[in-house]
Amino acid sequence: MLEIRELTVHYGLHEALHEVSIAVAPGEIVVVLGANGAGKSTLLKATMGMVRPTRGHVTLDGLDLTSLIRRRLTHQIVEQGLVLVPERGGTFTDLTVQENLTLGAFPRRARAREAELRAFALELFPRLKERLHQRVGTMSGGEQRMVAVARALLSAPRFLLLDEPTLGLAPVLAKQLLRVLPQIAAEGIGILLVEQNAQLSLSVAQRGAVLSNGHLVHAASAAELRDDPAVRAAYLGSE
Amino acid sequence: MASLLDALVTGLVYGGVYALLALGLTLQYGVARILNLAYGDFLIAAAVFATLLYQHYQLSPLVSLVLVAPISFLVHLLVYHLVFVQLERRSGSWRAMEASSILLAFGLSFVVSGAMLAIFGGKLFSYSYLLVPVHILGSVVPANRLLAFVLALVFGGIAYLLLVRTRIGTAIRAIAVDPDGAPLAGIDVRRWAGITFAFGGIICAAGGVLISMFQTFNVPMGVSFTLKALVVVIMGGVGNAVGALVAGLILGVTESFVARYVSPGLTLAAVYGLFVLAVLTMRTGILGRALR
Repeated sequence: MLEIRELTVHYGLHEALHEVSIAVAPGEIVVVLGANGAGKSTLLKATMGMVRPTRGHVTLDGLDLTSLIRRRLTHQIVEQGLVLVPERGGTFTDLTVQENLTLGAFPRRARAREAELRAFALELFPRLKERLHQRVGTMSGGEQRMVAVARALLSAPRFLLLDEPTLGLAPVLAKQLLRVLPQIAAEGIGILLVEQNAQLSLSVAQRGAVLSNGHLVHAASAAELRDDPAVRAAYLGSE
Repeated sequence: MASLLDALVTGLVYGGVYALLALGLTLQYGVARILNLAYGDFLIAAAVFATLLYQHYQLSPLVSLVLVAPISFLVHLLVYHLVFVQLERRSGSWRAMEASSILLAFGLSFVVSGAMLAIFGGKLFSYSYLLVPVHILGSVVPANRLLAFVLALVFGGIAYLLLVRTRIGTAIRAIAVDPDGAPLAGIDVRRWAGITFAFGGIICAAGGVLISMFQTFNVPMGVSFTLKALVVVIMGGVGNAVGALVAGLILGVTESFVARYVSPGLTLAAVYGLFVLAVLTMRTGILGRALR
């Protein structure tokens, strides 16, 4: 179980995140919806110790990560099995696909399962098989997202955090990418996804919540959120 | 014709050593983000170490190489963690540290060379090791230079293979290209940056021992070695090992030709000339874009 409790982040005087609590079970997909600047990225970055939260706790299967987060020891958090694919990032663009995957398995705990996870990642993204020796920077945006998710999988995550993976992707590619998430969850990996694309992300998630101005305002099952008039108006268009 | 060949072979020998020196400096700069202006002074310290061991104990410089590598590694690791990491803490960010580390390294250069000047003054160091002529390509080269050249290429080659073929080497290149993204792959940037800085220190010290095998030197020459390594790094492209090799050979040959056909006093001027030319014309090095 990944539990984020009352996480609060300030950038200077500005409160970017206000006492946000959310939990993800193993094998579950949870989506946090929100507009630009709602605090979605901040939530994930604070969970990884990339920004220092003002208050709040994060526990991973009962283990308190809060002190690692406060000391901003992101690499040790990854070593514990919490892995983030950041917005538009998560790859080393000057290195090849193969090298990126190898670095995914850099955490000590991921080494034992490297061969198995590499095979799993390439099964999810067969296109990468032909491109193993290509530099990631020369690939299309969609392919780079695939490399980022594949690299994260090689780190043997217990929980995977995804920051707007479909940003900038054509609708077909976005759909392809998110379709893979249930297969990852089926391996027992919990997924916390932040997205603006509500329609698509609610179709793969079991639960969801809405983040607005740093406040978590609405948490419900994905089905309820899909039918919620306020969510429909804000994130699903008015059709 | 024979003298032209002599100049070329001598130039290539020096160039190989310069390429090795540049590899160490570019690792320190590209990964640890420290432009180590004390590089040449650490190099001289290793050269002095090898010379003294040879003069007092008839110890082969090849043995000195083995001894100096772990010592230099430890010294550089200590310098990194006791000096530069403290600076990083104070400057608050990885990037802010890059600028202030140059000043700190400059100061470190004075400390290292000053300490050696206090002990040895400006006296010249040299010893005769493997001073036998070897005929190669119709030119005659002392065996010590040839050995230094071959070892420089071997060490450089090993370092290159470690960087390209191993997981840790790949992680080190990842830090060079994206220090902010590396922790997300579970890479402890500070730890590996320190180890890379110290690994660059091994290369630096190895270069110093190799140079002591065939060249007369004194303590104040440290700066000129820093400068040469820096010129090669910039010409070859930061973080570009193959570029460093090509640029090192160009620098060595240029020096050798200027010394033979213009004036030995102008070799350093030629180095500066190449430096200016490199900075003005090539933003990314001879072989195209740098690793970053």
